[in-house]
Amino acid sequence: MGIIVTEGLSKDYGRAIHALDDLSIEIRPGEIFGFLGPNGAGKTTAIRLLLGFLHPTAGRATVLGLDAERDSVAIRRRVGYLPGGIALYDTLTGLALLDYLADLYGRPAPRRAELVERLELADETLRRPLRDYSRGMRQKIGIVQALQHDPELAILDEPTEGLDPLMQRAFYGILDDLRVAGRTIFLSSHVLAEVERVCDRVAIVRQGRLVALEDVAALLARRRRHVEIRVRGAAPSLDAVAGVSGLVVRDGLVSCDLEGDVAPFLAALVGADVADLTIEPAHLEEAFLELYAEAPAVGAGRAGHAPSDVGPVGGPVR
Amino acid sequence: MNPTLLLRTWRAQRAKLLAVVLALAAWGFCMPVIYAAYGAQFQHIVDSGLIPRQMTDLLSDIGGGNIFSLGGAIALGFIHPIAVALICVFAVGFAASAVAGERQRGTLEVLLARPISRRNLIVTLYVATVGFIAISFAAFMVGTALAAGLWGVARELDPVALGALWLNGVLMFAAFGAVCLAASASFDRLTPALGIGLGYLLASYFVDVLGSLWPDARGVQPLSLFHYVRAPAVLAGRLDPVDLVVLVAVATVALTYALIRFPRRDIAAPS
Repeated sequence: MGIIVTEGLSKDYGRAIHALDDLSIEIRPGEIFGFLGPNGAGKTTAIRLLLGFLHPTAGRATVLGLDAERDSVAIRRRVGYLPGGIALYDTLTGLALLDYLADLYGRPAPRRAELVERLELADETLRRPLRDYSRGMRQKIGIVQALQHDPELAILDEPTEGLDPLMQRAFYGILDDLRVAGRTIFLSSHVLAEVERVCDRVAIVRQGRLVALEDVAALLARRRRHVEIRVRGAAPSLDAVAGVSGLVVRDGLVSCDLEGDVAPFLAALVGADVADLTIEPAHLEEAFLELYAEAPAVGAGRAGHAPSDVGPVGGPVR
Repeated sequence: MNPTLLLRTWRAQRAKLLAVVLALAAWGFCMPVIYAAYGAQFQHIVDSGLIPRQMTDLLSDIGGGNIFSLGGAIALGFIHPIAVALICVFAVGFAASAVAGERQRGTLEVLLARPISRRNLIVTLYVATVGFIAISFAAFMVGTALAAGLWGVARELDPVALGALWLNGVLMFAAFGAVCLAASASFDRLTPALGIGLGYLLASYFVDVLGSLWPDARGVQPLSLFHYVRAPAVLAGRLDPVDLVVLVAVATVALTYALIRFPRRDIAAPS
């Protein structure tokens, strides 16, 4: 059973704004799931529907096997949530806030000490009022409050916003440990490198509609990579190789784009006197941009049709 | 009700509560002192016929109080704009900002990410509001009783009647608090919630004062919540249970509205 299952989940604000349209996904236990899309794509709306902050216009969602609308209190007891651009009680100290928010769960915060240490939140920092905190410090407190009670599921909205690269790395380490511990992470982001680095699967939303959902590794494997080959003598014949496009040969330099399996391409190079070969690694960014280019928008506020790699319409995509 | 949230709310308001308590205690202290110092002199002047009876009747009617008796002086202080303004720090200010203020600051979603139902949140905030009002009014009563004892007029004061006035006053402002909390639960911004709460209180006050000054307007006085606190009568031992029932009914309706409306609302991301 999925940790999060949505079936045709939709949310309209009035008649004009369709924030989320027919979202059907299933998130598996123990995975780190990336929810990707630009600002305004519907990521935060989806999260707020899962937590019961919003009421769906259509469809339904279950979280940890519980109905997101009817059982939202029971869900929130087992979930850790980091809102995007978190607001805090500025008059409290960092420590007082963490104590207060932990007390509201009515149970201990077993992960706090570890999180505080890994995110380098010193004791004297935690004793200062939150109004004195920088944006990055506030984000660290946000991460700690979301994870300190060791939730079964963590829903993190733009978790590395405001963190410096070192702290981002520390945060990714925390996610790796949570994965090992069997926790499920639902991570919303528009930072592609982040999703590529930590997520097992990724859903891409655009204008409220799901445009792709698949393994990050599979998505990257299918992406178009740029290839350059410097040859001595005659250039190899690559025209007929599967996945090759945009072939240009000039002054001993062969450049092309390669999509899909690399083996036929390498086989075609056998016999050629190759002086140098560069295959640029595939990045999610290209995948993301390609998907966006493929999915034309239909009308204001509505997304276009999902491309062929999107799962079946009407049921959760697994 | 959530004890952790209630405790945190009390802690957050403690400095404000202390200031209001001290101010109301001082204000309550003034009433018996003024009565003891000037009440008899005013009565002599009135009895001398220097001031027309119609004028003194009018003065004794304003707000239901006068300074020619201890009960009247306390009643005047009780519904005086200074006392009303001080109580409104909680009955209007706190109640109106309790939900809408958190929403505007963006902290509501941090709170609601915990396992607290929205109804639980409303009930907890209302209990806090009524508690603040009760303590504030108690401070007024303590100040009054203390001054009455120190100035030698305590025998004119019935402690049971003073308690009844405290209950009557707490229920009236608890009704205002419920209306303000209902407004707070209905808006994403503080300004409209505060505007509705304050507007309702000012309109109520105006209608009551207007009715007491202008006989033709007495018919609209029941529309005002202030009409249901008849302080001189209460201090004379004549508390009308119907007044309490009306105030409890208003509070119940407003609170019920908040308990139905708030869980049905969408809490969109803070803008």
